[in-house]
Amino acid sequence: MKLVLIRTTINGRRYDLEVRPNMTLLDLLRDELGLTGTKRGCEVGECGACTVLMNGQAVNSCLVLAPQIDCQEVLTVEGLADGEKLHSLQESFLDHDAVHCGFCTPGMLMSAKDLLDHTPDPSEHEVRTAISGNLCRCSGYQQIVDAIKDVEGEKRKT
Amino acid sequence: MKPFEYYSPQSVPEAYNLLAQIGTGAKILAGGTDVLVELRKSADEVTGSIIDISRIVSLRGIEESGDTIVIKPLTTHTEILRSALVGMHAPLLKTAVAGIGSPQIRNRGTIGGNIMNAAACADTVPPLIALGARIRLQSSTGDRTVALSEFFTKPYVTVAQRGELLVEIRFPKLPFDARSSFMKLGRRNALSISRLSVAAILMRNQSGVITDARIVPGAALPTWHRVSEAENLLIGHQPTRELFVEAGKKVSEVMISFTGRRWSTEYKEPVIAVLVRRALEGCR
Ligand SMILES: Cc1cc2nc3c(=O)[nH]c(=O)nc-3n(C[C@H](O)[C@H](O)[C@H](O)COP(=O)(O)OP(=O)(O)OC[C@H]3O[C@@H](n4cnc5c(N)ncnc54)[C@H](O)[C@@H]3O)c2cc1C
Ligand code: FES
Ligand code: FES
Repeated sequence: MKLVLIRTTINGRRYDLEVRPNMTLLDLLRDELGLTGTKRGCEVGECGACTVLMNGQAVNSCLVLAPQIDCQEVLTVEGLADGEKLHSLQESFLDHDAVHCGFCTPGMLMSAKDLLDHTPDPSEHEVRTAISGNLCRCSGYQQIVDAIKDVEGEKRKT
Repeated sequence: MKPFEYYSPQSVPEAYNLLAQIGTGAKILAGGTDVLVELRKSADEVTGSIIDISRIVSLRGIEESGDTIVIKPLTTHTEILRSALVGMHAPLLKTAVAGIGSPQIRNRGTIGGNIMNAAACADTVPPLIALGARIRLQSSTGDRTVALSEFFTKPYVTVAQRGELLVEIRFPKLPFDARSSFMKLGRRNALSISRLSVAAILMRNQSGVITDARIVPGAALPTWHRVSEAENLLIGHQPTRELFVEAGKKVSEVMISFTGRRWSTEYKEPVIAVLVRRALEGCR
């Protein structure tokens, strides 16, 4: 099995990597790059815990082969905050108690970011659709929906 | 995941030449939402090479050419959902892709992968057959076009030969006065693989009489096809609830004539009938 040379941008940082082709983007992030914010859940596209943005779109990193991010841009939950300053979505999740055990949170945040980047003032229905591929076993969906809807308000406050 | 060699051809000829060279054990990768799930199963002993076609630019996009809509196979479900051309000329296809998986799955999953995977629950297939879609397959030795209604032989099996690449899906635009719908029944809204679905198209003349009808159930028959027995009941009549109920019963009958009675029939028989009626009522 030949290793594959890839050049990619993850959280704004350029990487030149040699990857095993039978590794997923999720494996690469967690096991090779130590970016363990992205969670490993079902590994078959059903739970959304592994959600990251690829070229600005939410994808399940467990369903992307590592070589497929060659020349692409990836954003993980680690790339949301600006140094010590949390992203407005993260602030809003805290304010609305939208984090219980926290396992689903990174994926929820990334799905929400995709939504808000493309739809600035989403309806409740749009928010629910955007996180329909993310499961929360602590069942805090209402707080999560409220947090996403209220981000704009948060932004204005700060 | 088992080890495999990885190739990412940049053009269609490069891809089919690789497929021909490698022969058995070469697997095409598009969005990967089906392939990655399969690769993770230890039962997959065959795949020795992955041919990742996702970088081939000429296989992306939606175009119109006269009265025809052309969709390239790497077009994602999200792109179809956002396409004004599809919304205008094939709204039932838009409805169908809107219900696929989740946003993450729609962002990666492609229409070509949905067709070529040939699962009984593939949501784009009933609308495409109702639209009269044809697909184009290319290999190192040939180039042919097949009606989608003749492409599938049974679940997960098609007439595609090893080494053939799907390069194009095309169908005539629906006439402006045509009405269409797609109904799907799953266990819950997001992430549910269709248990049963129905694509329907109705055309009527000025006095409201039905002049053309197309009904294609999904996940009900051994392969997808139009149910002409039910379509013929509709043609020449005014659309009424009773007529739609009759058409639903007919589809149910046809389904049972294929599948026989089995454990799931008690559920499927009334459900497909109601789904057909609702799909027809949705064609307003
Ligand atoms: C969680 C989850 C939910 C899902 N929900 C749905 C759903 O609701 N409805 C539904 O219909 N599907 C669903 N799917 C299945 C899947 O997402 C779709 O079938 C999708 O369209 C497959 O496209 P892909 O590009 O990811 O295919 P891939 O996985 O890349 O490929 C699928 C198959 O097609 C072949 N192939 C792909 N492109 C070509 C080509 N151009 N020429 C020749 N062969 C090709 C591949 O070799 C492979 O055999 C779901 C999957 C997951 C994981
Ligand atoms: S781990 Fe990727 S969707 Fe569950
Ligand atoms: S907070 Fe525990 S899974 Fe969502």
